[in-house]
Amino acid sequence: MPRPGFVLEVDRSTPPILFHHGEQFRLEKLPPGRSRVIYPAEPLEPLEDIEGAIRDALLNPLGDSQPLPSLLKPGMKLTIAFDDISLPLPPMKRPDVRQRVIEQVLDIAAAAGVDDVHIIAALALHRRMTESELRHALGDRIYDAFAPHGALYNHDAEDPDNLTFIGATDRGEEVEINKRAAESDLLIYVNINLVAMDGGWKSTATGLSSYRSLRHHHNVQTMQHSRSFMDQHKSELHSSNWRMGKVLRDSGVKVFQIETTLNNDVFGQDGPMSVLQKREWEWGTRDRLAFLAMKKGLDKLSPKARRQIFHSWKAPHNVTSVQAGEVEAVHERTTSHVYEQHLVPIEGQADILTMGLPYICPYNVNSIMNPILVMCLGLGYFFNLYRGQPLVREGGVVIMSHPTPWEFHPVHHPSYIDFFEQVLADTTDPKVIEDRYEKQFAEDEWYRHLYRTSYAYHGVHPFYMWYWGAHGMQHVGRTIIVGGDTRAVRRMGFMPASTLQDALEMATDVVGRDATITHVHNPPILMADVT
Amino acid sequence: MARTRLPVNGRTLAQLAAATTKTSAASVVRRVPFPYRPPTVPAGVEPKRPEPKTGGNYDTEWARSYPARLARVLLVEGLVRPAVELLAAPTIKGVDRLLDTDGPLIFAANHHSHVDTPLLLSTLPEPWRHRIIIGAAADYFFGSRLTAPVSALVIGAIPIERSRVSRKSSDDAAALIDEGWSFLIFPEGGRSPDGWGQPFRGGAAYLSLRCNVPVVPIHVEGTSRIMRKGSKVPKPAPTTITFGTPMWPTDDEDSRKFAARIEAAVGQLADETATDWWTARRRAHRNETPSLQGPGSVGAWRRTWSLGDRSPKRRRAKRAWPDLG
Amino acid sequence: MPETARPTARFVGVPNRAGRRVGTGAPAGPDGCERAGGDGRVKALVFERKPAKYAAAMAAGKLVPGGGAKVGPLRLRGDHDVPDLPGPGWHYVKPRLAGICGSDLATIDGRSSRYFEPIVSFPFVPGHEVVADLVDPGDPKAEPDGSYRVVLEPVLGCVTRGIEPVCRFCERGDLGNCVNIAFGGIEPGLQTGYCCETGGGWSTLMIAHESQLHRVPADMSDESAVMIEPAACAVHAADATLSEPVVVLGAGTLGLLTIAALAHFHPGLEIMAVVKHPEQRRLAKLLGAHFVVEPSELRRGVRRWMGSMAFGDGSIDNVTDGVSRVYDCVGSSDSVQTAMSVLAPGGELRLIGMAGNVELDLTPLWHKEINLRGAYAYGYEDRFERRTFDMAFELVQAKDLGRLVSATYPLSRYEEAIGHAATAGARGAVKVAFDLRDEKERNR
Repeated sequence: MPRPGFVLEVDRSTPPILFHHGEQFRLEKLPPGRSRVIYPAEPLEPLEDIEGAIRDALLNPLGDSQPLPSLLKPGMKLTIAFDDISLPLPPMKRPDVRQRVIEQVLDIAAAAGVDDVHIIAALALHRRMTESELRHALGDRIYDAFAPHGALYNHDAEDPDNLTFIGATDRGEEVEINKRAAESDLLIYVNINLVAMDGGWKSTATGLSSYRSLRHHHNVQTMQHSRSFMDQHKSELHSSNWRMGKVLRDSGVKVFQIETTLNNDVFGQDGPMSVLQKREWEWGTRDRLAFLAMKKGLDKLSPKARRQIFHSWKAPHNVTSVQAGEVEAVHERTTSHVYEQHLVPIEGQADILTMGLPYICPYNVNSIMNPILVMCLGLGYFFNLYRGQPLVREGGVVIMSHPTPWEFHPVHHPSYIDFFEQVLADTTDPKVIEDRYEKQFAEDEWYRHLYRTSYAYHGVHPFYMWYWGAHGMQHVGRTIIVGGDTRAVRRMGFMPASTLQDALEMATDVVGRDATITHVHNPPILMADVT
Repeated sequence: MARTRLPVNGRTLAQLAAATTKTSAASVVRRVPFPYRPPTVPAGVEPKRPEPKTGGNYDTEWARSYPARLARVLLVEGLVRPAVELLAAPTIKGVDRLLDTDGPLIFAANHHSHVDTPLLLSTLPEPWRHRIIIGAAADYFFGSRLTAPVSALVIGAIPIERSRVSRKSSDDAAALIDEGWSFLIFPEGGRSPDGWGQPFRGGAAYLSLRCNVPVVPIHVEGTSRIMRKGSKVPKPAPTTITFGTPMWPTDDEDSRKFAARIEAAVGQLADETATDWWTARRRAHRNETPSLQGPGSVGAWRRTWSLGDRSPKRRRAKRAWPDLG
Repeated sequence: MPETARPTARFVGVPNRAGRRVGTGAPAGPDGCERAGGDGRVKALVFERKPAKYAAAMAAGKLVPGGGAKVGPLRLRGDHDVPDLPGPGWHYVKPRLAGICGSDLATIDGRSSRYFEPIVSFPFVPGHEVVADLVDPGDPKAEPDGSYRVVLEPVLGCVTRGIEPVCRFCERGDLGNCVNIAFGGIEPGLQTGYCCETGGGWSTLMIAHESQLHRVPADMSDESAVMIEPAACAVHAADATLSEPVVVLGAGTLGLLTIAALAHFHPGLEIMAVVKHPEQRRLAKLLGAHFVVEPSELRRGVRRWMGSMAFGDGSIDNVTDGVSRVYDCVGSSDSVQTAMSVLAPGGELRLIGMAGNVELDLTPLWHKEINLRGAYAYGYEDRFERRTFDMAFELVQAKDLGRLVSATYPLSRYEEAIGHAATAGARGAVKVAFDLRDEKERNR
């Protein structure tokens, strides 16, 4: 029986705590008496029979949806959209749950005599998926059957001929989505709901939309009013997407939503990485040896080799639930499953929030974690993984640990480089950045070209990364990055520190000497329920 | 000159020797008395024949001892696999369908060529590859004292009677499956004589029902181009091996019905290999999957003629992506 | 423009010295330069023709920037001969400040091209960025304290050489283009500071022709005055006729001055500066650059600035539609190549830094039809109908360029001074100069 997450009060017997530090690790002693560590729950038991569960979900949908077979008719237009490379993290071992679900969906469609099927990677403004990434997500059978006929492809948010303007919400938010999806008799969206932010109407309204539509909720105003964007009911991001969902529904776009949840088994129950999801006082001899060997070994390697090793890791996390049917009914059930794995209750806010940032975030799968992504992972994702109120008090300090190298993947993140070199050299204020630069980047022809034909994130994507951290930047008084490249950290308006002790000292002039500390022991992912 | 006296029996021998100079060697043998020669059988009596040690009765127990298994691993990985890579350049598909399964499996494949066995032996996924037994025709592979141990050691075969239902064959196989061994069987009972498949026999289905172990249908494509029945020299050609989803017999199936379903599944895999998965699924649901056995009740030339359609050229998509300009 | 507007009249009245100058009768020196007579009382840094030492300087200069000063043919002499006045119109001047220029450093580190060989004469005293006192001006226009400060316009053109009629370039006032720099009444030398006869700024006494002298206003500091000559180079180079954005590559003295000149004389022109060091970034902004980028960021910066497309998958090899002009104030193979990659078709690459031997792939030059054009010295600016030096005075005063003089050294610390100048950017400095005002040989 997996143990739930819990909060540890650090005392003098507490061993040093594991901090992820990019493609490396740190063991840090936290000050006893005033520090707490939040541990995630152990991985939930996966479903015994995943194929059976998928079949069951498709045949017995939630909400006012009919079973899938009765929605499929010969001669219809069917479109299947699926979450892109940003999910799950790290990528899962084969077979990917998207493959399992879509194979079953297709088999039912084949039985129903549906011929016209398109399969679309719903990547919005993310980079296109490569052939091998698509093969990993969907399996070779689907790839070989659809890709050669141009029926499996990446969504292109910059192709005016393949976008349809649906309408506007009562607040004037324009809804524009993929034309094929809009014109299909049925749109099936296959989700992996790794965190509570994912899924619901956000799938279609964001994943298949364009800049014209996205700018209405991917902006500073919205992000600063999403507290947090992981809590659907207090998230302006979600309210906006839900309004857009209503427009989609009213305009006759018929969506059959499939959502799946995974457990927390990121590093495996045994094997070399398993020590990373054990609690430090339970590290056995073998775990300690594995950790030491890993740490020393990594020290000897070049950053590139290290990155290759980490990015080749396929996580054994497995499916804990499958829901299908009407979007909102499905999403409600899914969210409860996500919470079941992630939510850890904790009382009160701390003065200082510490976090060890791992090597991966949603936007650097098979790529480089550049400084902007470090910011986004720390102040965007980790900071926002709360329900109720932030883990750190207003005006408090966030200390994150990551090497933050001044390094970018030129193919994947070309606009990031310009954003970092030019925009951040001018200002780090999200609002100013939005007003002064967003439009230029969003409409830059070269970024557009690279997004559409190469494997580049859209020109405006680094802005969204910065907006993702807007709530965090507004809330905290100081951000310190331990072990970060001095120039890169400064460029972002943060403070570099060489050790955690230094960082804690630097925090004292913001929060005083006896500041309380909360450390989130993430990954595996946890979400704090702060009261 | 003085003659030494010979001893009595010495004399007898001398006499015998003197006699041989006069008669043939055969006559001497004939004169050897009973204990020195086999007895003759009295009329009306049927002697009990000893059990032959070859064929279906060949005891392969020793081939599953650890030294033999180690030798086989070395042989397969060191010799068979590189040879197969050179000769058959296999493309392996559908291994992901096995990832949910553990424990012993019964692999049922179509059969065109002697290459099938080494090909499958070296391409079956772990952990089954090195704990596999092959059902081999008792008369063909275990027919002599020379071929029997080679078959047992090299391909880990156990003899299966194909001419008749043999209790021993199936008992042996079932016992081994219960012990955790997986089983590779070619349910057609022999290599294809003309390039088209033959009806699947019930062995794999029977074992599945009896041992409660799923059957994995496998389609092997291309080995007939390497070496078909009757040809002596292998020619390199690419092959494709497609693994299917493990199948369980349903409650109302007997081994005959189940065997038919396995044959259909292999047929769908063949279709998947020749076209693509989506096309194959749609045809399967419309019951339009081309039969492995080819067109029935037509002239022989038409069977051969339509064989041409089935040998899929290497399908290479020209452009994987729509041109975005 | 009417011919008469050209200020050639300025040189009228300079004595015609068609023949060889009046010699002093002193025996010719070992390197062919006739030695000036007089009592050896000048303290000077002298650059001699010593091939072995020159080779050593080349090696040392490759290891340590400015390293050539220690081992090379440059040495400090306390008894350098007082130069003779070659004829009428020549005056003795006592340098006050003398700047160290990039071309000086190239000479000292043995990096200069063989091209210079026929247009210099040994042994010479370097120093062509000079503010000096005119000795015994005998001029009623002297300051009340008797001083009369001048800035040297160092080109040794036809007039100084007593060549009459002057060449067509001197005729037009384009002194820098003078074709007689190795001929006429004085020894070869493209400028004062490369000629064995004139002496140079790195000494306590030198000579100058009156056509070379520009009077320094009383309210101008020596530091500002020493920036006039380099500023004139920049003004001459920065004769943008475009309203389209330009890039200035390099932010040493010349780069910064070019930025200042562009900003001052072409208001509204958008300038992107490429700088290596943080202090340069600050100064570039201060002097009028709109965007400041690092060398590695240039291609991306230009591409985004011009909203252009680019070749290269995410990283940029070549900007397709870049800027129409690049001022290269570095002059290395890298800088020229980079400049070509960010130029628009038909654009102009203006080479201000002294380039020397560089290896280049000229395909972009060919394909984009780039104009490659040098920029040397100064003269007369047609576009403004003004002498370059006059404009330089205006620029130095308007932008307070005296603040670019970061450090001064006495002659005795010349090795340090040259080392500092050679690594100025990294050490947060711009112009390093010799301060001769307190040398005792000068004030005796």
